[in-house]
Amino acid sequence: MARKPNRSRSVEPAISAKAIITSFFLDWLFWGYFAYVVVYLLNYYWYTVYVDWYGKLVLPAWAWPVAVGGTFELAALCHALGHSLGVKALGLRWERTGPRVKLLHLLGLNGALLLGAGAFALVYFGACRIHGLPPALGREAAMGLGAVLGLVVVLGAMVFFSRAVPGLVLAPLPSPDKWTAPPPRWYRTLWGLMALGLFLLIMILGWHVTDASLKRLGNMVKTAYLWKALATPDFQHLLHPDPWLNQSILQGLIQSIFMALLATVFGAAFAFPLSFLGARNIMNFNPLARATYYFTRGVFNVFRSVESMLWATIFAIWIGWGPFAGTMALFIHTIAALGKLYSEQVEHIDPGPVEAVTATGASRLEVVRYAVIPQIVPSCLALTFYRWDINVRMSTVIGLVGGGGIGRVLFYYKQNTMWHQVGAVILTIALVVWALDYISGRVREGMV
Amino acid sequence: MEDHLIVEHLVKVYERGKVLALNDISFRVPKGQFLVLIGLSGSGKSTLLRCINRLVEPTSGRVIFDGVDITRLHHRALRLVRRRIGMIFQQFNLVKRATVLQNVLSGRLGYVPTWRSLMGRFSREDLERAKRALERVGLLDKMYVRADQLSGGQQQRVGIARALMQEPELLLADEPVSALDPATSHSVLKYIEEINRDDGVTVLCSLHFLSLARRYGQRVIALKAGKIVFDGPPSEIDDERFKEIYGEEAEQVEVR
Repeated sequence: MARKPNRSRSVEPAISAKAIITSFFLDWLFWGYFAYVVVYLLNYYWYTVYVDWYGKLVLPAWAWPVAVGGTFELAALCHALGHSLGVKALGLRWERTGPRVKLLHLLGLNGALLLGAGAFALVYFGACRIHGLPPALGREAAMGLGAVLGLVVVLGAMVFFSRAVPGLVLAPLPSPDKWTAPPPRWYRTLWGLMALGLFLLIMILGWHVTDASLKRLGNMVKTAYLWKALATPDFQHLLHPDPWLNQSILQGLIQSIFMALLATVFGAAFAFPLSFLGARNIMNFNPLARATYYFTRGVFNVFRSVESMLWATIFAIWIGWGPFAGTMALFIHTIAALGKLYSEQVEHIDPGPVEAVTATGASRLEVVRYAVIPQIVPSCLALTFYRWDINVRMSTVIGLVGGGGIGRVLFYYKQNTMWHQVGAVILTIALVVWALDYISGRVREGMV
Repeated sequence: MEDHLIVEHLVKVYERGKVLALNDISFRVPKGQFLVLIGLSGSGKSTLLRCINRLVEPTSGRVIFDGVDITRLHHRALRLVRRRIGMIFQQFNLVKRATVLQNVLSGRLGYVPTWRSLMGRFSREDLERAKRALERVGLLDKMYVRADQLSGGQQQRVGIARALMQEPELLLADEPVSALDPATSHSVLKYIEEINRDDGVTVLCSLHFLSLARRYGQRVIALKAGKIVFDGPPSEIDDERFKEIYGEEAEQVEVR
């Protein structure tokens, strides 16, 4: 039999008082930070004076009581209306037993109480002036103390009001009928809201960091002539070599494809054995092996994060400009990239066969040969094909820094603002990349 | 009869989960016995079997196989002992993308020098041996079929053929039929029984169903939370013993 939900379960009074006060201060804190962020952002956009050079909030004297009082008010209102983050943070929730309290009534009561608190503060202040009580306090301190005492009265009255009139009581957070109630949509949950808020903040930050501007996107008209030229490609040098370059577009393209092919094949040949050294599940038999694993992975990552453009520059100086420098750049990059991908394949194998082959008394190398390699070969081949595809695309960029191939042709035309020719090059590259993508996709399909 | 396998005060603690998987296990197995391990999931059956060929490193205690303390062996000596101990697994643990023949031949790796096996070259004798092993489990026609094309029962029989390649003296079977249906279970267990009977191979086999343990076991050891709670012939397991092993709420399920 299902347990009957006990709806009237509430927290013990003693806990309740403590929870109410703690949660109230949490709410106050939340609104305080909220106000801080708001003022800060306002400053960011409109350069108001309230944030100084170092990003610290500077408020004029009158603003502090307003901020403190205002956030206090917001917290008290939230609390009285039963929408309190502080209560949630304590793992509790408000449960209403009476009718919903009217906002207008609440505001009226709040106003009256505020007037009362103000009067109280004035009276207290006056008393301090006349009797010099307490003597050690200055004027502001006496005023502030009066205000705080007044606010405590407001708080007490509001909490009392919210508890007495609509009958709000604190209850443990997981609602008693949580097993049958549908889970709330993610954006209605506390975590969902926080994640959403954080995401928005990060996006706003990113917008500023990247110097994004919708206004400048409007400058597109300036590129009209460029688009026009690109749309009317000039295929004059598709087959006939350009005398300045001593190379036709097709020759450059063929060169690029072979550069990519050589780099991929040799890169794969070097990456495959290295990938076992970079696989955690193979290299965990002793501390030296683990060190090798971290070292290999580190080398892969460093070599991969060095942009292939830089490699091309290095090799252009090392062995001279031309397709060979480009091939070497792609080769180094391919070793690192494929090494990492292969290692991941090795790490994701089914451990069962490894166990079985180990149990036959095979040596570690034999285990790799008979239990690991047969599992990874098809996916590694597919990855290699994919890499070739990437390398062809990369080789166009590498031409910029002396890597030869179609990239050289492309950048020569670009430098000389020969946009019709650039259009022709781009179109042929797009065709070849599309064709390669199609072929490698079919091959991968067949292999995995 | 001479004791083929002696397990003494074996303890295994999984450090990561702080789990005491085996708690002072001791027993002796005479040569040629068909010993069945039973117990609930997580009672330590798999860990015990893997401690015997040290796929799992025991925390303390000794495993003495044919007079040699396995827990003290290193590298090469360990591999030489491992090749005399065959093992078959619940999930078969075949290389699914390789052919049946390649899977079976990999059982011979303990005997082939590494430099030769890395080239993928096995001797004519080994090929003949593989054929005989496959013939024995009735799968000679599947020699060049990829392992993942076979049914569960057939895959497990390939697993048995792979173990046969080792010409084992001891066969460890870790729930060999849990992933199979009842009819296939019997066919697989019959092959194991045949190896035990005809070749005189000592068998340690963990099983889920008591009915299978009764049918095939000469002796049953029951584990509960890493301790031995029963050790004796299967006929001695009455209802009371059964509840002791499997807990008060358990009911017997028959597999015929």
